[in-house]
Parts: sequence; C-alpha cells; structure tokens
Amino acid sequence: MSAHPTGVFEPKVIAYVCNWCTYLGADLAGTSRLEYPANVRIVRLPCTGRIDFNLLIKGFEVGADAILVSGCHPGDCHYTSGNFHARRRWILFRQLLDTMGFDMNRIHFAWISAAEGKKFQHVLTDIVEQTRRMGPYAAYSKICEEVSC
Amino acid sequence: MSRIGVFVCWCGENIARTVDVVQVAEASLQFPGVKHAAHYKYMCSEPGQSLIRDKILADRLDGIVVASCSPHMHLKTFRGAAQAAGLNPYLVEIANIREHCSWVHQDKAKATAKAIDLVRMAVAKVRRNNALQAIKVPVTKRALIIGAGVAGIQAALDIADAGYEVVLVEREPSVGGKMAGLSETFPTMDCSQCILTPRMVDVGQHPRIKLYTCAEVESVDGYVGNFKATIRQKARFVDIKKCTGCGECWNACPQKKIASEFDYGMGNRRAIYIPFPQAVPARPAIDKQACLKLKKGVCGICAKKCAAGAINYADQDQLLEEPIGAIIVATGYQLYQISAQQPTAELSGYGEYGYGQYKDVIDALQFERLVSASGPTGGVIQRPSDGKEPKHVVFISCVGSRDNAKGISYCSKICCMYTAKHTMLYKHKVHDGQAHVFYMDIRSGGKNYDEFVRRAIEQDHARYYRGRVSKITEENGKLIVRGADTLAGTPVTIEADLVVLASAMRPATGSDDLARKLRIGYDQNGFLSESHPKLRPVETNSAGILICGACHAPKDIPESVAQASAAAGKVLVMFSHKEMQRDPEIAKINESTCSACFACVRTCPYQAAEKADVRDRAGNLVKRTARINQGLCMGCGTCVAVCPSKSADLEGFSDQQIYAMVESLL
Amino acid sequence: MLEQKLRQTCRELLANGTVKVIIGYGAAPAGQATRAVFITTPEGVEQLVWNDRCEANLVAYLKRPEVRALGKPAIVVKACDERALVVLQQEAQLERANVFVIGMACDGIGAPREAKCRSCEDQVPRFCDVVLGEVTKPADAASARWDELAEFMKKSPEERMAYWQQELARCVKCYACRQVCPLCYCQRCIVDKNRPTVISTSPSLKGNFAWHVTRAFHLAARCAGCDACTRACPVGINLRLLNQSMAKATEENFQCRPGTDPQAQPLIGNYATGDKEEFIR
Repeated sequence: MSAHPTGVFEPKVIAYVCNWCTYLGADLAGTSRLEYPANVRIVRLPCTGRIDFNLLIKGFEVGADAILVSGCHPGDCHYTSGNFHARRRWILFRQLLDTMGFDMNRIHFAWISAAEGKKFQHVLTDIVEQTRRMGPYAAYSKICEEVSC
Repeated sequence: MSRIGVFVCWCGENIARTVDVVQVAEASLQFPGVKHAAHYKYMCSEPGQSLIRDKILADRLDGIVVASCSPHMHLKTFRGAAQAAGLNPYLVEIANIREHCSWVHQDKAKATAKAIDLVRMAVAKVRRNNALQAIKVPVTKRALIIGAGVAGIQAALDIADAGYEVVLVEREPSVGGKMAGLSETFPTMDCSQCILTPRMVDVGQHPRIKLYTCAEVESVDGYVGNFKATIRQKARFVDIKKCTGCGECWNACPQKKIASEFDYGMGNRRAIYIPFPQAVPARPAIDKQACLKLKKGVCGICAKKCAAGAINYADQDQLLEEPIGAIIVATGYQLYQISAQQPTAELSGYGEYGYGQYKDVIDALQFERLVSASGPTGGVIQRPSDGKEPKHVVFISCVGSRDNAKGISYCSKICCMYTAKHTMLYKHKVHDGQAHVFYMDIRSGGKNYDEFVRRAIEQDHARYYRGRVSKITEENGKLIVRGADTLAGTPVTIEADLVVLASAMRPATGSDDLARKLRIGYDQNGFLSESHPKLRPVETNSAGILICGACHAPKDIPESVAQASAAAGKVLVMFSHKEMQRDPEIAKINESTCSACFACVRTCPYQAAEKADVRDRAGNLVKRTARINQGLCMGCGTCVAVCPSKSADLEGFSDQQIYAMVESLL
Repeated sequence: MLEQKLRQTCRELLANGTVKVIIGYGAAPAGQATRAVFITTPEGVEQLVWNDRCEANLVAYLKRPEVRALGKPAIVVKACDERALVVLQQEAQLERANVFVIGMACDGIGAPREAKCRSCEDQVPRFCDVVLGEVTKPADAASARWDELAEFMKKSPEERMAYWQQELARCVKCYACRQVCPLCYCQRCIVDKNRPTVISTSPSLKGNFAWHVTRAFHLAARCAGCDACTRACPVGINLRLLNQSMAKATEENFQCRPGTDPQAQPLIGNYATGDKEEFIR
C-alpha cells in the first residue's frame, strides 16, 4: 500500500477505535457516503480502555506512518469509564514518546461519537493529508529495520 | 493448520461497485490458513447463508471471515449461520468492506487494496479466535423496582401478576409519585387519582409485592440474576404493622404549619402526617425536622393518642438485604428550579420571572395542586397571595427547556400538552377568565394530542402568543408580564393575576448517585442511558438492570406506563429461564502469572475483577491473584490494558488476536 | 556514631525476635559500592555499615522468594527507597506490618554525590518504624531536579530519537534494570510473554525501543526515583532521563509524587473526570 501507481506517497494509518462510538461513527460515515482517503486500517476494540500502549508501538513497528486512537466522548463510554482510564494513561504516555523523540505529529487522539460520522471523515482526512505532507515515518522504520546491534 | 473460509459479499452493487470482489476473494486465498474463498451477491440472504453453511461442512472449515457490512449489522446473522453448520459461532469474524470501504472510497484500485487488507486482518484474527461457550448463571427470580411512581407501580404489578416476587422501594412515605398529585390528565381529562389510586391499592395489597416506603437503595452488589440489594429503611417513627391509620395522631399534632411536599408548599401538613388521604400505605410518618418530641423532647401527644402503641420515637434507620435477579429503575423526575439559585453550576435560573419572589408566580405542579379536587383549595382556583380568583392567567412554556443559556438544551416534551390542559381546566372553573400562553413551538405529537391543543384554543379560547416573556414585575397586586408576539411582530404586555411556569423536567435528585451505585450510564443532563436508542430502549449497559419512565428522558404518563410494561416484559423474559446465558466475550486472568498488583481490580468499571486466594488441597495459601467474576464482567477489556504482565486478557479481543491483526499489516 | 546506632538497633531487633533477618548494607573494598547483606544473628550486625556508598535500593530484595523465606525482615532504607516501599504497599505487594523499616536520614550517596541526590526532596524517611541520623548536607534547590531533563528536551525530536537510537543500540537486554528495580515485581515479565510477543526479544533496535518504552511506562506514576536501574545498566544507558520524564509529567498533570502518601490511590487504575485532554480532538 505504500507505493501507489501514480507515485504519490500513500501513508499507512492505523486507527485503534472503540466498538461503540468511533467504530459506529465510521459506520455512519459509510451510511452517509462521506468520502475520506483509503489509507486507514481500523482495528476494532471494545473500548478505548482496552487499547494498551504497546499497541501504539506495535503500530509503528509494522510501518504505520500515523496512528489514531479514538473512542467515546468523556461521559459517553459504553462501559461508563474505560475512556477516562485511557485518557489518564495517554497523558503520561505521550510525554514518554515525546521524550524518546517520537514524532508527536504522527500520534493522534480523538473523541468521535457514534453520531459523528462527519467528524470521523474530517479527522481521518486531516490525518492522512498531514501525514502525506510529512512523508513516510522514516525515523522509526529505520529503527525497525536495524537487525542487530 | 487452520482451515479458514473467506466469503466476500457483493451487497448487490453496494460493495461490488467500488471493490473488485473477485480480486478480494482470489487474494484472500493467498493468506496463511485460508482454505476456501468465495464471493456472492447477497451473503446475508438465505442462499448466501446456505453457501456458507455448505462450505463449512464440505471443507470442514474451522473459522470463517465474512467480508461484508458492519459487524453491528450482520455479525449475529453469520454467527447463527456458522452455528447452524456446527461451527462455534465465536469462530466468525467480519471484515467491514462496506461501511468502512466501498461506501467511503471512489477509487476502485485503492478500495480493493484496502478491502484485501481488511480481509487479511480478519483472517489473521479469526485464526486465533477461541471457540467460546455462552456463560450460564443461575437466576434469582425476584425483581427490585426502585421508585413507586406510575412507572414503578406498573412494572411491579406486571411482574407480580406474572407470579414473581417484587421488592418495591420508594423513598417517600407513600407510593404514587408525581402522578398522585396531578389533577386531570391529557388528552382524556380523566382524573389522575381515579386511575392511579386503585393501582396503588393493588400494590399495597399484592401478596407478591414487598413494599418499602421511606426507604432507599443503599448499595447493589453482585451481577445479573444474582444481585444483592441493601435497602436503607429510614426511621419512620411509626410502626406500620401496629398502626391502623386511624388518624388520631395527625389530627392531634400541634405542628400545623409545615409546608406539604405533596402540595409543593401550596398547603400545610402536620409533623406526623400522611402525605395525602389516599396514601399507600395509609400509615403516617414523623418528620423529624418538625417534630417537637424528636427535636426538643417535649410534646409526645401523638404517642399518647395512639391506641395501637405504634409510635416509636427511638426508631432508627435499618439496613436490610434482599436477594434480587433483576432491577428496574423508575426514579422519575423533578422540576427544574426556576429561581436564580440552582443546584449545579451548569444551570442558571430565571431571576427575571420573579419565581419565589412573587407569590402568584407558580410552577406547573403547584398549579396541578391548585386545580385538584384533593388539593389545598379543594379545587377552587385561588391565587396564593390573597385567595382571589384570578381573571387573567399567563402560562409560559419552555421555562428552562430548550434554553442553552440556562443549561438545558432538550425539550421537556410534556409541557405543551399540560399547558393546554391547564388553560382548559382553568377555563372550566373560571368561566369569565382568560388564559394566555407564551410558547416557542407547540409540540403535540401523539394520539389525540393535537386535537386536544386545538380544543384549548378554539373551544376554550386560550390565547396563544408565539414568543418569549422577557420580564415579570408586580404592580398594585397585578403581575405585569412583558413579552413578545413574534408572529404579529408586536410586544405584548399582560396584567395577570397569576403566572404559571411550565418548567423543564430534570431527573429526580440523587438519580446520578443511584446510577453510579448501579454502574449504569447517564447523560450530560443526568437522565439514565438506555443501551440502544432504538433496539434496546429499556435496557442499560449493565446486564439485568432496566430503566423506565421519566428517569430516562422527559415523557408523559402513557409512555412511562408503556415503557414500564416493556421493562417488566424484559424481566419476565429473564425469569422464564432456569439459567441465564451471557456473552462469553469477557476478560480472564492467567492466575499462574498474575502478581496480584490488583491494577485490574482498581480499574474495572464493574467491579468484576476481584481479589482471590489460590490455595492448595490442604487449604494453604499458595498465592494471591486477581480473578474475573463472569457474571459481572461486561467485556470492556480495561483490565487488559492496565495489566503490566499481560496476565489479563479478553476473549474475542485477545492480545493474540489483536497483535496478529496489526502484524498482518506489516 | 550512626553506624554503631544502626548496629545496636538491629542487634536488638534480632535479639528480641521482632524480626528474623536484617537486610542492610555490608562493607565493600575501598572505592566500591556497598553490597546487600542478610543478617540473621545478633552477632552478625557487626557487618552492617552506613556510608555514602550505600547506593542500592534494598527494597528490591523483598520481592525475592529466597529472601521472603528467611522470615520477617527489617530493612534499611533511604528516603527514596522508602517511596518504593510505599508504592509496594499501595499495590498490595507488601503488608506494612510484616516489615520493620529502618529509615536512614541521607545526605546523598555516591562519590561524587549522585545527580539525583543533589536535588533530593526527600532525604528524611517519613513512614519508617525508626529513623536514624540527621541530615547534615541539605540538598540544593528543588528546581534543579528537572535540569538535566529540561536540557535534554531542548533537543529537537529528531535529535532525541537519534540520541536514544545511539544509546539503546548498546542495550544487550540483560534486564539488569528490571532485576534491581523494587517495583518490577511481575512474576512473569511482559517481555517474557510469547503468544503474542508484545516486545521483540531479538537483539535489535526495534526490540530495545519497545522494551525501554515498556519499562519506563510500567513505572510511570510509580517510580520512586532511586536510580537503581541507571546504576545497574552495564552499558551506561541513562534510564534516569525516561524515569524523570514520567515523574515530571506525573507531578505536573496530577500533582502526584509516587510513594509519598501511603493512603493515596495509585494514579493508574483511577481517573478524574477533569483530567486534562487538550491533546484530544
């Protein structure tokens, strides 16, 4: 998927989303025929609370140029508080990634409800276009390619 | 090893138009573990499903991926098809190539490439799926109903009449709720008490309804089918088993000027009182804030008057435990407070309407008591300030409702109708009087509802002004109401004798606390959340807990009753089985690697992760561990993400499955 | 003299049966750090020393089954070590009543004095059964705590990643950082888990990054700042920077210094509805 026939860089975006809000928001974008770039691969999890930080690292390891983590708005969690727990972890985890020099422009967080098909479209389009401008995440893929040290 | 079948759906043209389904099927044959791939026009149709069933049997498939629409649409369908062919239903995965692909992309090459990726991920996942069995839990066939207004009463009677025990908990001294205080009801104008009180009596006398009044739910432990409710029976100071309800006590009580809650302060009661004559149980309670004996140790007249010896000044709160299988929450509503002072920072009041400042500015429930035959004036319309009959009454709708500036954006739904009813009730009692109504829109959807509003306007000549009231002032015993008629484009000033404000409906006080105790959701306005707005309207996201009535959203009596019966029906469905089946896609703990840090126990939104001891046969403690209570776990997986050693995992979304999906994208 | 007082205290604890074993510091050749000693008899206390080379965080030994088998311990801790003890308590790893804690007022350790000690905010243990000694050399201004981190964060993200790439390339995955950490007590470390392999175990930069991200984040809002990991690293990776980054974020976002309040709920596994979210769209 990295090279399109036209030679334009097609970023690889992985989205970890919760089953009840953002996944349904993406469904709604579908039923509303809201077009967005075909670069995103959605991984459905029950709740943002289920999304552990290792999955973000794993995403970059498999060559993601950007990652989105998205779930229900605060207070709307299907499981009442999974997103609150997740938010607290992200606050700290972002800092760690920043200290390690990860490109914070490639790690995105959003609250997208089941009713926000439009927001899903906008957020995804925005992430893909921004990542396209930045180019491939060469810094981390270089790290992942290094075989032994 | 695996023998996966991939079934690509065209969805007619919906998928096939932008995704090359043939190419997707061919490509999936190359994925590790795929034994068979097919495509068909409508996989969800009977021929499509039979194609799947046949292939499962013919090729002995041990997992299938259906590339089709959203799993929210048809995962259940295809799980059923798999099961029919003898394949465990949890060995089915969906690749969503419609909502997430064909419907949102135009470029066929890109959409097809994406669809292939989505199938690749689903195949990687399904290879690691476990065959799961539905979890069976026993059911305690007793229902707890919280709140004994019309909704709670209806649900209680339905369940009790079906032959099951009901524990009905009401925090007021009597059942009946708000409806017991209403005068007549729209659109039929039948008397509220006449239709409700027989049902209240039924509740009081029903052999299978255990009624707690002056009581609240203190806590709920356990899980669906097996709850344990702790009920706080508040001190009533009257032994209702001994009491005969003769009335000697309250007639003798010297504290005569206590504002009656039932009359919303429009009338008075004693310190020992029944809230209204038809109360169930017809037994008094002592208001400990008002009772001279309890406050100052003097008086004691009621005890002297009581021949039955039912008065007990030493009464104390008691905590009682009840085993319960299902819970219905029917805690109802309260009215938005109109005055400037508000209970929460998000809300603001209408200082400009002078509520609380001018005696003749009242709210809708107060007006109900004013026109009720059982009310403080015996149904004669007298204004509170001087008892005069009001000749001009202004009704203002949407006070609080649909007003973002005041913090309530929703429509309270019933105000248009009861305001029309109020104008009619008024006109029927004060023939030379004039009702004026300020409104934003008239919302009268419902059987015979719009006809009812037309009647108020056309037959009873209520004057309707489409516009808001900006200010109310008092001059010479008149209330000067300044507003606008936006249809006529003119300002309107009315010299009114009485103003009635249709203030917004809000969830009853404490319903958010209760929701937290029950671990059910509520929205930003505090109304309790249903599991699905269309398909699961009375269920909550906590299994075995249902909601009905105005605690869910503003609604009128017929809707509350219908919803109560619906909730009761759901309970009866549950009680019709010996055992309950629960979704097995829940968390599990690897106890041999768990280090008992209990991060999961702290995190679990349902208290399903518990601390446990592992013991050897001799009973010696081997180690401590976390353990998942299968009845409580709802499968969110929050425990998995906080477990540092990854000893917690989630069936259906296990680390193996998810990492395999991500790694398939390399 | 403080060392004598420490020995006397320990002698009594063993003699009167309060504890079965003393976990303390024992002498080492000149110029080297002291080592842990496990003393089970009153006579043995003569081995105990207290000096500025008492660097190890002895709390890490409490997780070892062979140490647990010795019976109720008394443990010698500095204020930073004690914070780890408090975290263990919060995480149900330790019954406080089952340990006798001997706190040592601390002027800082290392020759020369370690960076973390120069800006130490703790110095005197707070929750010990007995505290010995006094602080004679107060730490410098607390603001200096983040100096090294702040300096590092002045680099661009690319420079920071290049730095870690260079540093972590040296990592031999010996897991000494894990072994000496009092808070790395998992019976099966995530890195030892396969099916799935969360962290690549191959000696590659990829696996090294995943490991060090995981190690640091598993200590987020828990790390006591004792720097045992950094001292233990045989190839000299500055793990302290990562720990500090988490400590600073924890303090700034949640006003929390891990291990300073035994009554507090652990930060992870709890939440506040008002946690900040300006980074979430």
